[in-house]
Amino acid sequence: MKYYGRRVAFYAVTLWAAVSLNFFIPRMLPGDPAQILLGKLARNGDVTPAVQKNVELILGGSHEPLWNQYWAYLDNIVHGNLGISVSKYPEPVWDLIKDALPWTLCLVGSATIIAFAIGIVGGAWIGWKRGSAWDHVIPFTAFLQSVPYFWLAILLVYFLGMKAGLAPISWGWDVQTYDHPEWTWASMVDVFQHAVLPALTIILSAVGGWLVGMRNMMVSTLAEDYIVTAEAKGLRPRRVLWVYAVRNAALPSFAGFAVALAFVVSGSLVMEQVFSYPGIGKLLITAVSNADYALMQGCSCSRRSPCSS
Amino acid sequence: MIRSTRRRSVVAAVALASGVSLLLAGCGGGSKATDVTTSKAASTDKPTGVANSTRVLNVWAGSMTPIVANFNPFSPNVLHAAMGPIYEPLFAFNKAGSGDPTPLLGESYEFSADGKQLTVKVKSGVTWSDGTPFTAKDVAYTYTYAFSKPSYIVSAEATDDTTVVVKFDSPQFTNEFSLLGTTFIIPEHIWKDVKDPAKFTNDDPIGTGPYILKKGSVSSQAYTVVANPQYRDAAQGKPAVKTVRYVGLDGNQNAEDLVKQGKIDWTGMFVPDVDAVTSLGIGYINTPQDPTTIYTCSNADEGCTGAQTDKAVRQALNVAIDRKQINDKAFKGLGGTISPTFALLGRDDKWITDDAWKESPQSADAAAAAKILEAAGYTKGSDGFYAKDGKTVSMTLKSPSGWTDYNQAAELVASEAKAAGIKITASTISEQEYFDARGSGKYELLMGGVVGTSVADPFQIYKDWFAGFSTTKVGTPLKASTWNFSRYSNPDVDAAVKAAASTNDEAKRKEQYAIVQKNIVDDLPYIPVIINATQTFFNQKDFSGWPTDDDLYQFPPSWGSVSSGVILANLVPLS
Repeated sequence: MKYYGRRVAFYAVTLWAAVSLNFFIPRMLPGDPAQILLGKLARNGDVTPAVQKNVELILGGSHEPLWNQYWAYLDNIVHGNLGISVSKYPEPVWDLIKDALPWTLCLVGSATIIAFAIGIVGGAWIGWKRGSAWDHVIPFTAFLQSVPYFWLAILLVYFLGMKAGLAPISWGWDVQTYDHPEWTWASMVDVFQHAVLPALTIILSAVGGWLVGMRNMMVSTLAEDYIVTAEAKGLRPRRVLWVYAVRNAALPSFAGFAVALAFVVSGSLVMEQVFSYPGIGKLLITAVSNADYALMQGCSCSRRSPCSS
Repeated sequence: MIRSTRRRSVVAAVALASGVSLLLAGCGGGSKATDVTTSKAASTDKPTGVANSTRVLNVWAGSMTPIVANFNPFSPNVLHAAMGPIYEPLFAFNKAGSGDPTPLLGESYEFSADGKQLTVKVKSGVTWSDGTPFTAKDVAYTYTYAFSKPSYIVSAEATDDTTVVVKFDSPQFTNEFSLLGTTFIIPEHIWKDVKDPAKFTNDDPIGTGPYILKKGSVSSQAYTVVANPQYRDAAQGKPAVKTVRYVGLDGNQNAEDLVKQGKIDWTGMFVPDVDAVTSLGIGYINTPQDPTTIYTCSNADEGCTGAQTDKAVRQALNVAIDRKQINDKAFKGLGGTISPTFALLGRDDKWITDDAWKESPQSADAAAAAKILEAAGYTKGSDGFYAKDGKTVSMTLKSPSGWTDYNQAAELVASEAKAAGIKITASTISEQEYFDARGSGKYELLMGGVVGTSVADPFQIYKDWFAGFSTTKVGTPLKASTWNFSRYSNPDVDAAVKAAASTNDEAKRKEQYAIVQKNIVDDLPYIPVIINATQTFFNQKDFSGWPTDDDLYQFPPSWGSVSSGVILANLVPLS
């Protein structure tokens, strides 16, 4: 009982700390949201006096002491209310996140799983065939991993999208054909096609790490006595590979996979920007560049399990 | 133990696979339910009979994703289609030319001799897109709408169905554009029931413009407008382009690629390598409009600190920079020549009161800079920089990181200033810090833009950017509608601006402008650099009727408020 009490207290404190940091860090950023918004509007020409008045009305209201804002924020969080976005005023933050989150989870989630699967299977095979020509795959994928994310994305857009015309280069679906994605076969294929290049970016830059980790674990596992025993027993090589070696060699990778899943949302930041993909990373960039505190809180909240629920 | 693994691993594989498919299936979760029939019907680009009129025109007007439905013209987050294509003001002023404004809902207007009364004749027989007749009462309602009413309007009254009389508390000649060219007329029968106009998103906009919103078309990535069957020129087949889709995109590179692929037909954005686009047969026009300057926090009395508070330093810097080099290197040679009077060359020439002020010096003249500084008591130190009273002339020139043209320009200014013995350190700051710095006045030098005037008259710049009543002390952010970031304050300029505002007589205004220009050319609170390029790319294969250099009937970029509606109504699809 005492154990559970301690655990609950520990998680409660962690949650409070996370939620509080979430509140204070955005407010430490320099910049006044009203000035930023007016500055951006002015870049595109005339700002009518009515709009200026409205900006002050929307953004001028938060002159309450920080302490009161903090209490109001905690109260809202408890009631599941993430507030109203000022950069997309008067849209509630929750509605923005609700529209964006599935795209990011699907795309980055499945890409992470695919990269992981390729890494485990490929790494196991390369480790099994150690010393063969297959080993040369490793430095190549390591190179892809070291290429900056956005640069890889731009290269893919240029060569596969523009030159070869193999896949669409923007958006989550074809806006020229569908106002919204539909539950029809054609529309789903379309959504899938639009996910190809963004997913490829993530897979190419993630697969190298899994591959090299798995391969090295395979090499050391294959040197274990029980593998030699299994081979000596006369088991089929395939059974030795998948049942005896991979099962043990994959353990560290699975531990790492749990951590990788937690980075799904943050990994989407750059990719979504390059492909104008309608996900949460893009939302976070919008929030930060407009000093939109509520949206920032909402986005970073949805990256942590406690308050995303 | 080991024997049972095969079955287990199968189970695990199935679990993993179903997890993936669940994730994939969830992909469509972000979509909103919509009626399939309408979205399909509009998207099939099959020509049916009349020309190619079902060809959809795709526009990027600068919206970033996610797009959120908002067609409230008073909202800062209003979508582009609301301003011009759906709602219209009374007249369309041409920012790119000096001719008379084009009548939209209005027909003619007249100021009283003292400038305190404006009488507008509006068109008759116009209907709102819901079928209700439009009358002068709607105009009067708009001008007195509590939420948007400018404080100087005393009353607005519809004397009959086509006449509105607006009364002011002071002469308002200079607000002609603001009143007639940017005030979007709203329907009284809809807006009288709106409880909170700040929060109103107006999802079903009722306007008089050439287009109406296609129901259910707003998604996080795009929205579509279709021809308004009630449009006053519908009988003449206007607008000929029946469907226009506005898309959201997150970067210029992305947009440029889509223009090249022919997936975007009209956009206004900065593209450094124009030839790569135009070589594909895509139409292009460049209409430089907005000045780029170096903001200086110039006024020590208002709390500015730094070497630039001395007029001589600003004057020296003004002649020390090589504007041609800055334009060629930082702005790819696309910028226009600037006049230190801030009148737009070519359009506002008649307002430049002295030919010596026509153009800012185009090449660097270090000797002239040295002469100015030495006359003001500065001496050159052993480090090659001028100093006075033991203090080196040293300033920081900041620009927002990511605005690469400004960053490069700042670097060039720094190296050119060094050649003239002025020490400038170019650095970049985040956009937020930048807007904060210029608003509060806590800076020495900033690369910064001035909003070009929308009518052929530099007055608005004199009033909003140079007048002492448009600024505040350093540390206090500027008030709404004022942009005097330099903290410049000069009683002669203020008096001249006020005097010019109270007359409609061209000769009298010119007298006052001469006073303003004499002062600002000498004081240089903003050091003029170039006029920014305003680039527009358009599909000339499938559509005609675009503004060209020969027929610049409206400001061409797709983001232009009001002008974009006029242009869309004027386009014709080519078969």
